[in-house]
Amino acid sequence: MTTKKHYWNEYQKEIADDKYFYERSCIRQTFFPGSETAFLRMIKEELGKDILDVENQHTCTGIGFYTDIVPLETTMTIVARLLSLMTEAGYENYVPSCVTSFGVFSEIVDLWEHQPSMLAKARKILYDTTGRTFELPKNIAHPSDIIYKFREELKEKMRYRLVNRFTGKPLRVVEHIGCHYAKIFPNKGVGKAEFPHVLAGMIESWGGEVVDYPERRHCCGFGFRQYVVRANRGYSVANTKKKFESMQPYEPDFVVANCPGCTMFMDKWQYTIAEMEHKTYDKNGFGIPVLTYEEMAGLLLGYDPWELGLQLHQVQSERLLDKLGIPYNPNEKYKSVSGKILPNPEKPQYLRV
Amino acid sequence: MFKPLEMKEKEKASRSDESPKPREIKRRLKAVKKIRRKKRLEPEEVELPLQVAIIGGGAAGMEAASVLAAHRCPVSLFEARSELAVNVKNKYKIFPDFSDAGQLVQTMVKALDHPLITVHKDTEIVEIIQEPDAYILLDNKGVSHTVPAVLLASGYEPFDAKRKEELGFGIYDGVINSLQLETMLKEHKVVNSLGEEPKRVVFLQCVGSRDEKVGNHYCSKICCVTAVKQAIEVKRQQPDTEVYVFYMDLRLWGQGYEELYRQSQEEYNVHFVRGRISEAASTFDGRIQVKAEDTLLGQPLKMTTDLLVLMIGMEASPGTRKLGKACGLEGPYGFVRSKSVHLEDNLSEQEGFFLAGSCKRPMHIAEAVNDGRSAALEIIKFLRR
Amino acid sequence: MGNLYDLLREDVRFEEALHSCMNCGICTAICPAAEFYDYDPRKIVDTIQRRNEDEIEALLRSETIWYCGQCLSCKTRCPRGNIPAVLIAILRSVSQRMGYFVESEKGLQQFAVSKKVAQTILDIGYCVHPDTMKYEMHTEQGPVWKWYTENIEEIAPRFGANYHGEGPGALRSIRKDTMEEINKIFEATGGKELMRKVETGAKNKTNIRNDEDLFNLVYNRNTSKE
Repeated sequence: MTTKKHYWNEYQKEIADDKYFYERSCIRQTFFPGSETAFLRMIKEELGKDILDVENQHTCTGIGFYTDIVPLETTMTIVARLLSLMTEAGYENYVPSCVTSFGVFSEIVDLWEHQPSMLAKARKILYDTTGRTFELPKNIAHPSDIIYKFREELKEKMRYRLVNRFTGKPLRVVEHIGCHYAKIFPNKGVGKAEFPHVLAGMIESWGGEVVDYPERRHCCGFGFRQYVVRANRGYSVANTKKKFESMQPYEPDFVVANCPGCTMFMDKWQYTIAEMEHKTYDKNGFGIPVLTYEEMAGLLLGYDPWELGLQLHQVQSERLLDKLGIPYNPNEKYKSVSGKILPNPEKPQYLRV
Repeated sequence: MFKPLEMKEKEKASRSDESPKPREIKRRLKAVKKIRRKKRLEPEEVELPLQVAIIGGGAAGMEAASVLAAHRCPVSLFEARSELAVNVKNKYKIFPDFSDAGQLVQTMVKALDHPLITVHKDTEIVEIIQEPDAYILLDNKGVSHTVPAVLLASGYEPFDAKRKEELGFGIYDGVINSLQLETMLKEHKVVNSLGEEPKRVVFLQCVGSRDEKVGNHYCSKICCVTAVKQAIEVKRQQPDTEVYVFYMDLRLWGQGYEELYRQSQEEYNVHFVRGRISEAASTFDGRIQVKAEDTLLGQPLKMTTDLLVLMIGMEASPGTRKLGKACGLEGPYGFVRSKSVHLEDNLSEQEGFFLAGSCKRPMHIAEAVNDGRSAALEIIKFLRR
Repeated sequence: MGNLYDLLREDVRFEEALHSCMNCGICTAICPAAEFYDYDPRKIVDTIQRRNEDEIEALLRSETIWYCGQCLSCKTRCPRGNIPAVLIAILRSVSQRMGYFVESEKGLQQFAVSKKVAQTILDIGYCVHPDTMKYEMHTEQGPVWKWYTENIEEIAPRFGANYHGEGPGALRSIRKDTMEEINKIFEATGGKELMRKVETGAKNKTNIRNDEDLFNLVYNRNTSKE
């Protein structure tokens, strides 16, 4: 199977190069807090950029919006409030950590551009309820866009490469792009919607090999209400299962995703499928590790795996760390912040850990 | 690009001038009329001492050239490429009667062997200057040609399927376009990505047409019958291959087209699925997986095929786009705009500037030939007025 | 009073979401919900396009409109520039406002969604938070998640998180004045009203007055054979 590159990796969207206003993601904070810490560290320490993380930020209501329990006008005004935080801090470049949030902001800003009366409404309601005013952002970029933009600069600082040190060959990486990153507005995603380049660019730059497989563009299955309500979760797991069945013959070494929800689902559903169907998608029964792009970049930069938070993943990463040649102390894995050794998590029945 | 009367002296000097100047043209036209009246000649008995320029050596341009020459009007035919009628040459057999495209081209080219026709290959017209009673054409070799009338027949180019990234053209070897299939059929070598006879071939209609995402809302008219024709040809060469055609509508408006469709079903068992394929991906074993909905059943379907053939539409050629814009005649989608589609379809808003063929809209070969012929007659009418 | 089609049209997103549909099926071809449910976005768009009041009302009362996972894959591909997913969002909005959502099992789930997502936003300013993702409600999250949530105060700081803390950082406690503003915005924009409508409608339909009982019912019930 041959793949050739054409328009998509020539298409570059505009990504601001400094002075970022960071918005934290509900899901990323919940499941991958270490990734947000790592991202801030990369931007500030490795790249010397200015990024602001204010305390009085909050959810953009994205999940509420897409579960249709939060009306458009509410979400719109909450978005306006977040922009007012950015404006009052003197920033213009909005960086939402969540891909759903990225989608929400892109949609709302697009709505305001096409329907100025809605923008006027947002201004009015925000002012009437909170006394706040806001400016539209000059640029909206997802953190993965920024890492993509500076992947060469980060590469200079990286101690490791995406290479299997046992075989010398590039690691085979499945890159998964969150649906709301480029499907809503293809022009807002690096490389557009069919062959997004934001993660592929990182992988290629850092020595790895991107794996193409038939269900590459398939949704991970979050489905918002299809996961939030337990009765619907079959939908969610079925989608992820479809992806893993499709990628299995290609024997990827790991999966990386830019959406925190996708990362969480592709990790946790492997556990669920293993327990329900006694099936894993790697050869040894451990599953295929699923990382955030911050974890991928952080590992290559030499950040400690347990500070990054790899121990929070259900599919274990040690075998991947071994392939990368990254040292880790197994004794530190399940310690508390004070160094106390906590009882280990229980072991799944079927998924090997 | 229609420049005002005064040209810069420098530009004048840099061009070699083989043809008469505009004032000379006016004089000669007047002289012709005088001679006619004096000798009581009919218009068609007088040979026009002036060349008409035809831009584009395709079906329309070639037909116009031979008709003009038959009416004793000298013609300069300019073709940007090295060969004439490349769009026709690239075909194998032409619907609905499976005539040989190569022979058709040969016939048309032969008709150009006429003392009054001069063919300029590898010659692109890069600039057109409008003067009263004349047009000055500047070609890519720096030569200028002054003529009383111009026929724009710069044609179309096939849609570049790479722009539909989700269909995998140019990415996966098992995805080809209809032109590549024509070549395979000509060579009797219809093969999949592994070089073997495909067990299954899937055709997808409307690639690059009826699609807001690529900016072409229009229908390209001839892809439906082309797919039916190619489906039959595949089955004739490889009777064991399964053939599917995925369509939204089957537009078989021409004489014999609907019958061809029926024949494809009854004699060749071609399967038709009403659904537009959304994406194509390569499977682990090098086949192509497509996703569509069978809208008549109301259910999504996934199918693996050895070969996916994209029925690409027709777009304005680069020459059509450039010249159409430069002459102020740009129409929708970069095609050129005629004066009126009903009774003045070979005329444009510029007097003495005529249009023929697929530079205006998608057309099939017979239509382009007819259009070239009718444009020639309009030109003759114009010159002998 | 206007009809249902007009009600759909009043939504500010409708104009962009439906231009005209030629029933090509490209949306259904790529739709994950169409793969796993008896669901067909093309048919839904076609129904709205037909403007038949009976059919639209049936749709608003049906399970059908609750299957979409809002992945927006349809938007990327539609050759007429329509967005079935946004039409679904509009249908869901109207269905809740009109009270039709209670006629379907999946529609009634909005009660659970209101409690689990919307209420969480109003209470703590997050859509999702470890505090609202307890293992007992989410056994699919696995034993590592169980371990984490049982020891989160001691573990989270390792990753630089500020769990329940003041000041910036992941999982911080959101300031009272911020929470007040969020609540005010919800009230002023009809956010709270929608929640009230959903909760009242669900309770009236099921005759279950206790929040927890009703939540558990709609959260877990899956009798659809689709």
